[in-house]
Amino acid sequence: MGAEYSRDESWFGIQSRALARFRETVSGDIKAKLGVSIVAGFVLAAIFAPELAPHDPMVQNFAIMQSPGANAHPFGTDSFGRDMLSRIMFGARISLGVSLGAVSIAALIGIPLGLGAGYFGGWVDDLLMRFVDITWAFPWLLVAIMLVAIFGQGVWNVIAAIAFAYIDDFARIVRGEVLSISEQEYVLAAKNIGVGDVNIMFKEVLPNAVGPIIVQFTVLIARAILAESTLSFLGVGVKPTTPTWGALLGQGRGLISQAWWISIIPGILIVITVLGINLFGDALRDSFDVRQGGDTL
Amino acid sequence: MGVARYTVKRTLQAIAVVYVVATVVFVAVRSVPGDPARLVLGGNADPDALAAVRQELGLNQPIYVQYYRWMSDLLRGDLGESIYTGEPVLARIIAAAEPTLSIALVGITVALLIAVPAGIIGATRRNQWEDYVGTTIAFLSISMPAFWFGIVLILLVANNVTAIPSYGYTPLAEGVVPWFTNIILPSIAVGLPYAGIITRMTRSSMLDVLNQEYMQTARAKGIPPRLALLKHGLQNALMPVVTVAGILFALLLGGIVAVEIVFGIQGFGRLLIRSIERQDFPIVQGSVILVSVIFVFMNLAVDLIYMNINPKIRYGGEN
Repeated sequence: MGAEYSRDESWFGIQSRALARFRETVSGDIKAKLGVSIVAGFVLAAIFAPELAPHDPMVQNFAIMQSPGANAHPFGTDSFGRDMLSRIMFGARISLGVSLGAVSIAALIGIPLGLGAGYFGGWVDDLLMRFVDITWAFPWLLVAIMLVAIFGQGVWNVIAAIAFAYIDDFARIVRGEVLSISEQEYVLAAKNIGVGDVNIMFKEVLPNAVGPIIVQFTVLIARAILAESTLSFLGVGVKPTTPTWGALLGQGRGLISQAWWISIIPGILIVITVLGINLFGDALRDSFDVRQGGDTL
Repeated sequence: MGVARYTVKRTLQAIAVVYVVATVVFVAVRSVPGDPARLVLGGNADPDALAAVRQELGLNQPIYVQYYRWMSDLLRGDLGESIYTGEPVLARIIAAAEPTLSIALVGITVALLIAVPAGIIGATRRNQWEDYVGTTIAFLSISMPAFWFGIVLILLVANNVTAIPSYGYTPLAEGVVPWFTNIILPSIAVGLPYAGIITRMTRSSMLDVLNQEYMQTARAKGIPPRLALLKHGLQNALMPVVTVAGILFALLLGGIVAVEIVFGIQGFGRLLIRSIERQDFPIVQGSVILVSVIFVFMNLAVDLIYMNINPKIRYGGEN
């Protein structure tokens, strides 16, 4: 990215270019194709879970407790005789929704912080980045545990803990991009003709950081799914009655020798989903030519 | 800015960050809806017990007195006492640390032993089958929850190999072999995502290094390629790996807590989860502060070491 956009280009120009590049990436790269297909499949399954799920995910049937995969229940049943496939489909809604929500919130906070820090420099930079340092100094898992200890289990606590952990990722990337482009001629020219700081930041500088932001967003979604599954597994995530992938997996933990599928199948689905997102993110990284030390993956 | 001034500045900043973290934890504890004493004793505690706990925690004193006490206790390394057992929090955490540190160290070792050679092979045999295999495994490993991989290992390894138990921990003092067989599976589970990341980083920085002039010079001077690779190449290629040690530490910690639960190991992770179940709040808050301190100072150390290896990096303040 960088200097290739002229200052005449509008947000739309840049967005349509980003879109074109996205299409190019998807059509040209086998990794991207695979990644997008996987992600699209899971997102559709999650959205249409009420229509597609073969059974009610909450209905218990003690006649078929812990039965392995069969025609009526391809992924088997759990220890209450509930259909695993249906529970996994409904679980996808929460696992994917929580990740998307958490990373979006982190982006909404982190991007302006990085933008302000990089653009103004000096004491503003110091102040904002020290704030970012502080968010980053809290171990996310312990933040989640602390939130649960204080407020109890719940979707929003999980979202808050994960979002908090990812603010610094966005802030640092945007700041780095801003530093590399804010001395560009078109930015200086805009300053000279009296364009306001906020306008320059959001209209001239930010659009040039879109590539790295999208890549970061993708990588963090993948990490957030793993984080959510860890929290739910530990019982510090959403309420235990809610089926999320991590919670489903956790219920099967003590039953590995009797009913391995209860923990193995949700795990395989987590791996496939996260792998799809990571493959897609990697392809995007190649096409945007994003390079930075911190997250090679 | 000179090296000495930079060192002082970064150290002061690290202390400031830790100070704010401690303050945030203080505020968080006291912004609990209702009464921290009720949090301690549970919903239906009797009023006398509540009053006693309030007295003990100093909750009936003015907020600035509480804050002063909190900070001066922290400075003396006093993280309070467990509500459940009455033991000092710090002692409780240290007592639980051995299994956790063992898993972390063995996990990192396993990860480096796999990842560094894998990264070098990936770079030197770029776009050949070795590279593709390595890349595929690296992608799989970072897409996997560590605790789930632990379950898979129990199912595949521990359930079939009698020498490797699926449960528990033996202290190092009771023998190296039982210690090792107990923690090898958890360590692999924890180290795997770590290995994936380091493989990818080593590969990409090795690719950069291979194209550098000094590598070409070394080759032109007739230094055997393998020696040039190891001596000049590896040293430089590992630099980015060192810089992300902090990120990797956070990742590792997240993994270990859940992996300990999977393998029934009574370490720091188990202590944390237990403390939540028992509503033992001082242990949770003490852990947050302790881990933050380790995290911040580890990154400070990495920063300062990195600056000494590579004086070219830009010190703060001249943007």
